[in-house]
Amino acid sequence: MNISHQPARRAIIELRDIEKHYGAYHALRGVSFDIREGEFFSLLGPSGCGKTTLLRTIAGFEDLSSGTLTLDGRDMEGVPANKRPTNMVFQSYAIFPHLSVAENVGFGLRRSGKLREEKAKLVGEALEMVGLSGYDARAAHALSGGQRQRVALARALILKPRVLLLDEPLSALDKKMREQMQVELMRLQRHVGITFILVTHDQEEALIMSDRIAVMFDGSIEQLDEPEVLYRRPNSKRVAQFIGVMNFLPGEAQGLSGGRLAVDVAGLGRAEIEPGQFSPDLDHGAVSVGIRPETMSLLFEGEADRARVASGTVREVVYYGDMTYYEIVLDGLDSHVTISMKNLVDRPVLDVGARTRVTWDARALVAFAA
Amino acid sequence: MKGRGLRIYALAYLVFLYAPIALLPLFAFNESTIIAFPLKGFTTHWFAELSTIEALHGAVWTSLSIAVTSALLATVLGICAARAATRYRFPFKPGIMGLIMLPLVLPEIIVAVSLLVVVVQLFGLNLSRWTVIAAHTLICTPFCIAILNSSFGNLDASLEEAAVDLGETPASTFRLITLPLVMPGIISSLLISFTISLDEFIIAFFLTGTEPTLPVYIWGLLRFPQRLPVVMALGTILVALSICLLVVAEYFRRRGVARAGQEDHGGFL
Repeated sequence: MNISHQPARRAIIELRDIEKHYGAYHALRGVSFDIREGEFFSLLGPSGCGKTTLLRTIAGFEDLSSGTLTLDGRDMEGVPANKRPTNMVFQSYAIFPHLSVAENVGFGLRRSGKLREEKAKLVGEALEMVGLSGYDARAAHALSGGQRQRVALARALILKPRVLLLDEPLSALDKKMREQMQVELMRLQRHVGITFILVTHDQEEALIMSDRIAVMFDGSIEQLDEPEVLYRRPNSKRVAQFIGVMNFLPGEAQGLSGGRLAVDVAGLGRAEIEPGQFSPDLDHGAVSVGIRPETMSLLFEGEADRARVASGTVREVVYYGDMTYYEIVLDGLDSHVTISMKNLVDRPVLDVGARTRVTWDARALVAFAA
Repeated sequence: MKGRGLRIYALAYLVFLYAPIALLPLFAFNESTIIAFPLKGFTTHWFAELSTIEALHGAVWTSLSIAVTSALLATVLGICAARAATRYRFPFKPGIMGLIMLPLVLPEIIVAVSLLVVVVQLFGLNLSRWTVIAAHTLICTPFCIAILNSSFGNLDASLEEAAVDLGETPASTFRLITLPLVMPGIISSLLISFTISLDEFIIAFFLTGTEPTLPVYIWGLLRFPQRLPVVMALGTILVALSICLLVVAEYFRRRGVARAGQEDHGGFL
């Protein structure tokens, strides 16, 4: 994770009550938040949630229906894309196929009024920054996916924009390449110190790279937090479902005690939910209790009973090498919970149908309105 | 043998298609003035005679100037229409595009007659080179749109956005990015419309003024049987030229597809 521990930095982009309509379609619904200078910010959400529209709005490719967008304190209303201090890395990379690598990277310098030698030097530096030194004369269409990605990055960064916009930049790469580029992007962002805004539908990618993440659904921001907070304390059931895996069990809230919410959880029994892990309006009545697979565990033969134990039957086993995911049907419940276990040398992998005991960390429980 | 029937069919089909065209050069180089077998001897006399006919030179010049002008006009109109069709959304778009493409299937004789009525009766204009140019532009434009639609359609919209994002204006983006990338399509469109205009007879026959186009001139020659070998020689040259132009057009179309990194979805050849 890339959580910064610097004091809150000043806002570079301020979005206020942004609305966007396409005919009858309401793409953005009252979006308001700040993006801080120098942070790696992600817009995360399922396709059609408005994240790309929002990014294109910042770039100047889409007009606002209403609301204000300021960049560096300057209202961007009526400022066309070619006059904004933002540059974009497109999902398709948009490498100009008729130009060489160097001509692509140096494209933005055409209007800079710099001398030929100066431009060549900047292009060389930009290519070196993305690890493509010596590729200057290469034809753009002779590049691999990862190389196109790097050319697109160098081309966008050569103008030293205030904000770099990345529209699903890694989605076209294979898994290995994607993981490598994630690390490189983070390193690059720290190196250049430019604010990055990443649009992605891949929650893992967002968690890995971002300082802060805005989760979007249906044109509005559902939650904006640091990755760890988002993962541990999702403020709604759909955020919890969208980010990682979350088990949900029905429960009955029994009122507050000492700031904690007492809940009778189906299959797990009575539990007290930590402050900040349930919404303040929950008090009595039906709730939905969430728990992550890694905060539950199976108790194997010979392991002592813990304070919290339930029994169940293994319904499905998914072996990942380093981890095994079990689907366990707890006694007295119809549905299953998913539990992830590290595969240690002396730990057996259970078979489907085996009986097992289950324990969990009660501090990890979160509660949502049912 | 398996598929024997299909082979015979394919062979017969090709013979039917190309035998008449193959006869052109055969008689163009035949010594006799009568178009009949058996062939007499080899001669290039008919080709030589072509260079001495003044009226023919006039017709060639008229045809070329009409073909070049119509090709340019039709391609410019095609660029505008293809651009609008691929980039913009506007009301009744499918209907409008359909109407633009309609001349593709209208019988040329109908187009010719109605244009004649419009030009002479309605506007009271004299028939001239320009009336033929107008009509040829009309019938060539749908072909240009069909070719250019595929060029503009294959163009990734984010390429233009990337150029704007990097500081270019919409106009300079069109010049620096769009035009070079659709250029193969434009060349292909120019060549095809040039060929169509050059070959076209019916409309030219109705709308031509005092200067006949080449096809109209050739038609006139047919009244004199002793000139037939000359027509054969002329036809041979025209066929060779047409094939060359089509091949060049297709070459540019394919190069455009390859350059844009797209898959090939057909074309003319």
